[in-house]
Amino acid sequence: MSTREAQREPSEWSLTLREFFLGQEGVLVVFLVIAVVVLAFTSQNFLTSKNLLNQARLMTEVGLLALPMTYIIITGGIDLSVGSIFGFSAVMLGWLWQEQGFPLEVAIVASIVIGTLAGLFNALFIVYVRVPPIIMTLATLALYRGLAYGVSQARSARGYPEWFFRFGQEDTFGIPTQIWFFIVASIITWIVLARTPFGRGLYAIGNNVTGARFSGIPVDRYLLVIYTFSGFMAGLAGFLFTSRVSTTRADSGTGMELDVIAAVVLGGTSIMGGRGTIPGTILGLVLIQLLKNGLSLSGVKGDATIVVIGSVLILSILINNFLQRRFAQA
Amino acid sequence: MQPILELTNISKRFPGVQALQNVRFDVLPGEVHALIGENGAGKSTLIKIISGVYKPDEGTLRLDGQERPPFSNPREAQAAGIATIYQELSLYPELSAAENIFMGHAPRTRFGAVDWGRMRREARELLASLEIHDLDVNRKIGTLSVGNRQRIEIAKALSLNARILVMDEPTAALTEADVEQLFRIVRLLQERGVAIIYISHRLQEIFTLADRVTVLRDGEYVATRRVTETSEPELISMMVGRTVDDLFPKLPAEIGEPLLEVRDLWRRPYTLGVNLTVRAGEIVGLAGLIGSGRSELAQTIFGIMPAQSGQILIEGKPVRIRHPGDAMRLGIAYVPEERGSQGLIRQMTIRQNISLAVLRALTRGPFIDRQGEKSLAERMIDTLNIRAYSTNQIVNKLSGGNQQKVVVGKWLASQPRILIMDEPTRGIDVGAKAEVHRLMSQLAQQGMAILMISSEMPEILGMSDRVVVMREGRVVGEFSREEATQEKVATAMMSVENGASDAAELAVDGVQTGAKGR
Repeated sequence: MSTREAQREPSEWSLTLREFFLGQEGVLVVFLVIAVVVLAFTSQNFLTSKNLLNQARLMTEVGLLALPMTYIIITGGIDLSVGSIFGFSAVMLGWLWQEQGFPLEVAIVASIVIGTLAGLFNALFIVYVRVPPIIMTLATLALYRGLAYGVSQARSARGYPEWFFRFGQEDTFGIPTQIWFFIVASIITWIVLARTPFGRGLYAIGNNVTGARFSGIPVDRYLLVIYTFSGFMAGLAGFLFTSRVSTTRADSGTGMELDVIAAVVLGGTSIMGGRGTIPGTILGLVLIQLLKNGLSLSGVKGDATIVVIGSVLILSILINNFLQRRFAQA
Repeated sequence: MQPILELTNISKRFPGVQALQNVRFDVLPGEVHALIGENGAGKSTLIKIISGVYKPDEGTLRLDGQERPPFSNPREAQAAGIATIYQELSLYPELSAAENIFMGHAPRTRFGAVDWGRMRREARELLASLEIHDLDVNRKIGTLSVGNRQRIEIAKALSLNARILVMDEPTAALTEADVEQLFRIVRLLQERGVAIIYISHRLQEIFTLADRVTVLRDGEYVATRRVTETSEPELISMMVGRTVDDLFPKLPAEIGEPLLEVRDLWRRPYTLGVNLTVRAGEIVGLAGLIGSGRSELAQTIFGIMPAQSGQILIEGKPVRIRHPGDAMRLGIAYVPEERGSQGLIRQMTIRQNISLAVLRALTRGPFIDRQGEKSLAERMIDTLNIRAYSTNQIVNKLSGGNQQKVVVGKWLASQPRILIMDEPTRGIDVGAKAEVHRLMSQLAQQGMAILMISSEMPEILGMSDRVVVMREGRVVGEFSREEATQEKVATAMMSVENGASDAAELAVDGVQTGAKGR
């Protein structure tokens, strides 16, 4: 005899909706709507397609890093070195092309490969030497940044050919080119996380790494993949950044890791691991970008903007905790 | 003489399990009173009540003959002069011996600062009073041997003016020389009138050291004896003396070819040259004390701690198992000992847990087949009679028995040929227990080879076609279902020397050494 009460079982769909609105995503959507309405009234230039597309362009680089960061934080880890890998691979791109005389196409590919290898280096130490991710990537945050300075000798590479700017400064099919990179990467990372055994494994690792190992999940391999992927995306973002700003400097991307982590955490990914989604991260990214932009358009100074973003982060998490405690238990 | 501490009618219930039921215990000043019982008999719960970690649900406590409410926290017990030395010593490795001894009650100067000179002096005096003269009180605890750390723990207890000292398996990690010194210290304390509650699995020790011994079984009080008036066989039979009732419906199964063979398997320091065979349709019960290396053996076979040397054969063919994935491909499933940390991802749903070990097979293209996943979970909920309202229920919200069924379901989903079950019914209620046992019987009938690790004697005797006993990383005895009796298995589990083949003689030997020791 089955004691399940089939008639009371909520359908998959209503369950997902409920989770959405009681979860961090729901809180963010509400915040986002409020922010857009308020900012639209305070600045005429805010709600224009030109401004919004431009903001999306600016958001892409942090966005590309936030996708693998979501994976990593879901497993209970962190990657503090992404800003440094970003800067390092951008510098390598310019250096290989200008100083070493490689064709620009080769330099682009090589710089992304270098980013990937930098991520792999983190991964190997984290997985096989069991250095805690926060320690390892704190070390390589300094290491890769140092390499970037060493290679560039404080010179910046400029004078790229016209075609190179296509990726960072021009439009494709009516929207800024690099946004396509972000859209494709978002969809793939979203589906992989939500629908594949790999994605399920990441959640299992974050919730209980011992349990995951005892279930035969190849924990080491999964961790290798995500930290290496993080390096790859940092390399890609470094390339798009170089194309956008036409120059590379060794300090590019300094402090960027904090923007990335803020967006991921605002998006509802638990820093303790085990919880988080790609749509949440995207909402977090968009909200931060719109607040930055809207507030500066409304004449709010930079310092005050950071204060607002910090407050939104705390507030959204408080509201989410409250909702979880109030309703999700029932 | 009046007992310094006396407990009567102590009962303590945990969710799903009655840990203690009407237990009594007392100890006289200057007495060593041993407390024995099998794994799970309630010894730990009782000492935690004595030391204030748990509050009993019922029962009275008398201190020096005065009735008082049971301790509601360890501080109260400490204030009453009770000190406990646990198996895992609770010292601070980065601090000096003197600092550890006076942790929380360091001598102060007039101005409130720590009086280091006095602290070191008093620490040395305390150690000297235990006839320990060669221990530098300035050394960091982390640099001391286990034996010395234990002496520091004892000194710490004395610095708190303990009148009752509880020692939980104090010799488990000690070398022989350390054991002798410990015994000397215990006798010294005895002369000073300190009452000692001594827990040990080593019966010889009890005959050497204790005045009286109390036996617990299944959370109940069995008897208290003077050691001079009892014997090792009598104690063993009191510890295990249960009637194996028909709670376990073991069905006859046809036993076939060996499916799993382990030859001279090594994984130091837990698995030391183990040989073992499990045949199709057979349930092999693996008995042993906690720490005898049973779970570690299972985890070596399953690839969590891969073997260093030796051979594993599946259906007669040698295989290499380097990680759980290898083992799973070979048709091995392992239902682990710790449900919460090893068996389940508790924050995830029933559906997600049941599919976790078979996700790779449950895909359409690169994606998880959600419908297939859901129907798998529904099938397991029905087959195993899991009480849940939905496949989307979070596992943590289920009762222990239902959680265990989810773990079993997860591994049955992998359709194993060899099933290793580690404490399959620990901490679950009687009904769920019987269901798990019925299921094991049915699986064996279908030709599965089952290796069952259990610390419950009735389960071992009731379910096993064959009983294998491990002690200190080695197989020390093997009994057919007909041969296996509680006394034989328990003796093999606990005896210190020789194999279990001559278990009966050994038990008699034990008494004689015991008598000499007194």
